Amino acid sequence: MATAERAPSNSTAFHFHTGAWVAWLVAGVVPAFGLRNPLYLVLVLGAAWIVYSSLGRSSPLGSSWGSFIKLGLFLFAFTIPFNALSIHIGQIVLFRLPASWPIIGGPITLEAVIAGVVSGLALLTILVVFAAFNAVVDHYQLLRATPDFLLQAGVIVSIAITFVPQMVLNAKEIREAQRIRGHRFRGIRDLLPLIMPLLANSLERAIQLAETMEARGFGSVAVPFSRRQILLFQTALLAALLALLGGLFFIGFLPNRAVWGWALIGLGALTLGAVFWLQGRNVHRTRYRRPRWRGRDGLLTAASALVVIVILIAKRLAPETLYYSPYPPSPLLPPFDPLVGGVLLLLALPALLALWGQTAPSPQGAVSNEEYQP
Amino acid sequence: MIHFEHLSYSYPGSPAPVLQDLSLTIDEGEFLLVMGPSGAGKSTFLRCLNGLVPHFYGGRISGGVQVAGRDPLALGPKGMADLVGFVLQDPEAQFVVDRVEDELAFALENQGLDPLLMRKRVEEVLDQLNIAPLRQRSVSTLSGGERQRVAIAAVMSLHPQVLVLDEPTSQLDPQAAEEVLDALVKLNQDLGLTIVLSEHRLERVVQHIDRILYFPGGGQPPLLGEPRAVLSQVDLTPPLITLAKALDWSPLPLTIKEGRRFARQMSLPPRHGVLAVPTPGPISVSVRELGFSYNGHPALQDVSLEVRQGEFVALMGRNGSGKTTLLKHLVGLLRPNEGRVQIIDPETLAPLDTRQASVEELIRIVGYVPQNPNALLFQDTVRQELDFTRRGHGQPPNGDEALLDILGLAEVADHYPRDLSVGERQRVALASILVAEPRVLLLDEPTRGLDYQQKAALTQFLQAEKEKGRTVIMATHDVELVAQCADRVILLGEGQVVVDGPARQVMSESLVFASQINKLFRDGALLTVEDVLS
Repeated sequence: MATAERAPSNSTAFHFHTGAWVAWLVAGVVPAFGLRNPLYLVLVLGAAWIVYSSLGRSSPLGSSWGSFIKLGLFLFAFTIPFNALSIHIGQIVLFRLPASWPIIGGPITLEAVIAGVVSGLALLTILVVFAAFNAVVDHYQLLRATPDFLLQAGVIVSIAITFVPQMVLNAKEIREAQRIRGHRFRGIRDLLPLIMPLLANSLERAIQLAETMEARGFGSVAVPFSRRQILLFQTALLAALLALLGGLFFIGFLPNRAVWGWALIGLGALTLGAVFWLQGRNVHRTRYRRPRWRGRDGLLTAASALVVIVILIAKRLAPETLYYSPYPPSPLLPPFDPLVGGVLLLLALPALLALWGQTAPSPQGAVSNEEYQP
Repeated sequence: MIHFEHLSYSYPGSPAPVLQDLSLTIDEGEFLLVMGPSGAGKSTFLRCLNGLVPHFYGGRISGGVQVAGRDPLALGPKGMADLVGFVLQDPEAQFVVDRVEDELAFALENQGLDPLLMRKRVEEVLDQLNIAPLRQRSVSTLSGGERQRVAIAAVMSLHPQVLVLDEPTSQLDPQAAEEVLDALVKLNQDLGLTIVLSEHRLERVVQHIDRILYFPGGGQPPLLGEPRAVLSQVDLTPPLITLAKALDWSPLPLTIKEGRRFARQMSLPPRHGVLAVPTPGPISVSVRELGFSYNGHPALQDVSLEVRQGEFVALMGRNGSGKTTLLKHLVGLLRPNEGRVQIIDPETLAPLDTRQASVEELIRIVGYVPQNPNALLFQDTVRQELDFTRRGHGQPPNGDEALLDILGLAEVADHYPRDLSVGERQRVALASILVAEPRVLLLDEPTRGLDYQQKAALTQFLQAEKEKGRTVIMATHDVELVAQCADRVILLGEGQVVVDGPARQVMSESLVFASQINKLFRDGALLTVEDVLS
């Protein structure tokens, strides 16, 4: 353990525990969804960008960053004209389209353009936060952190992720092959020679994978449930979901009986947890190299919690500093609270801690054994 | 270790049994090679060892199998997973997880092993298979040979007592195949692991194996015995053994080293480069200062060459040296970044520049058979595949009995192409390109996955095409195929032409690209068995 082995340069930079990263993701997504204010959004976007460039860029997982950003920019560019053409409110009129045109006809205002920019920025921010998360957390690491009862579903997702790039390559190969047989792609019907071999190839591959997984003993240890147990679980699951629904009903429609509602929700959640725990107990499965929870993971989680809490409190106490609407009678300039802005900067904490870690003996980028339990 | 007792098996819906009354014993620590033509029952035999047959496939089975005291027919693959490690042909279809280290731990996690023990096992297999530097990599970035070693490591982590591999190298190039086979030899010799391997590349493993199990197919009973004993009774073997049998060398040499002893004593009449240089026809393909890059990575640099009508050119070079990229340029699937590629119309002698000409125009002259026949085939019958190409070329559908006959496909003309063997599929792909009668034929790795018999059939066919005067340009790793067919070899390296010359000259001056017979006699005039025997 003492001699931390140096992984090659292409190693994944797991600087934080997956759990801490999930907390960071939540703290990044809450303001991106909740605050429609360009100044705050830019702060979140910048923080996520910094996290990516200091931690994600060197990771092999970072390869999908580009496509996330492209999608984000596309949505951004699409939202602005969409908003400007469909919403005709505002005082600063840029130009007018004939009113007889459906939907897009009418005055095109600066306010609508600005509102479009803000909406687009919110979308872009959400995507950049997810892109950064995706670049620093291995999806299989995430799968390991999921409870056992979700494992089957998780494995299917994992297989799909490994399957898709191969399928894309395969589709390209088939397209070329059919072209050189003189096939031209003109309409939907001409896609058949492309789709049939693709399906057949994928099916053959899936059967082979099933065979390998069978031969490697996948799902071999789980003790099967008896019919009675399965029935019991299903009934309990249904009851728990009904209790949750009933609780929401009480809180929503009978505010003076809210206590009942909370009690029902508690009961439902408890039952749900018990069912999942009992089901998971039968899946006998261990986890390889569980990441260690260290001080900086706690720090990141606490900082993330602080971001969420401050936003929730600010929403209650001073909502006018959070929201921005360009439409009159609001002022054209967005409001800004330095406290909220400062707290949002905490989202860049992972990058800061990594920078600090660089001066420590364990260099950045190397996976050292101390990051994992054995 | 492994006992088969009167085992018979037939697949569901098939009246004829694949295995019939099979009884044999495999000892602990034995390295057994399973060989035979495709479809003779090799895969079925291997799948009996861990219960995939009959549990995964169904069908009728009788008799018994015992592997290390357990009965796979009763327990099924799940019950045998910790005892029998199983590796398949296609390295791409075996991975569940994207990262190498996680892939190795996957089976262990599912067996519910203690995390400390798991960690130890993973570290051990990383070293055993020599893949420690790859531990953090994504499997999609690995080469074929690396993938297969990861697949072997993934089953080795369960500490099986038997390792079963079904043609693990048939999709790999020779270099990658060598990596994988060397790893297996090491596992067998260092750990005494019992290995059952089905494999076409005999020459690579034959000196390390203990016994051969040969399935002749066609209802014949299998042969089991020492390599020399079995090989002397088998028809299709590597050139060295074919020659040794023809010349009655005894004991049968298995390696070039053993063969050299006999070859030195032979006195062959000296031949001074009997190079039958074909009369140069008009130029058919002209490539000038071609440069091409994929996303900024140079794939071809300053390639210039000319191919004349009726020439048979082999493009050789390691993986990634630009062979496929060059072929794709010749049919217009890729267009040059620099320089130009011209195809000369054999009738009008007018040059078609691939930057201007459409693929439709080019494929009237050039036919390209891609590496993977599965990319082409999608129709219900072989005949319909041929008709589909004809329609694409604006020709009327027509019975192509002659072509099907020559390619040995007449019997399967009404079969579903994907049900055919790899060799047959390869020929259907070839037929579905040849049906348009291209004057220039481009082939990409035509022998990948073929057994000796299928390879011999393909070689014969290509030789006949050459006689007919068709221009053939073939990218291949298969040295023996080049020795038998090609007039000229172009060696590519890092996207550049390294050597361009007559096949005999290039091959006899090379260490890597010399054929077995050439290595045996160290004589530039002798490349094939026929050269020696004529």
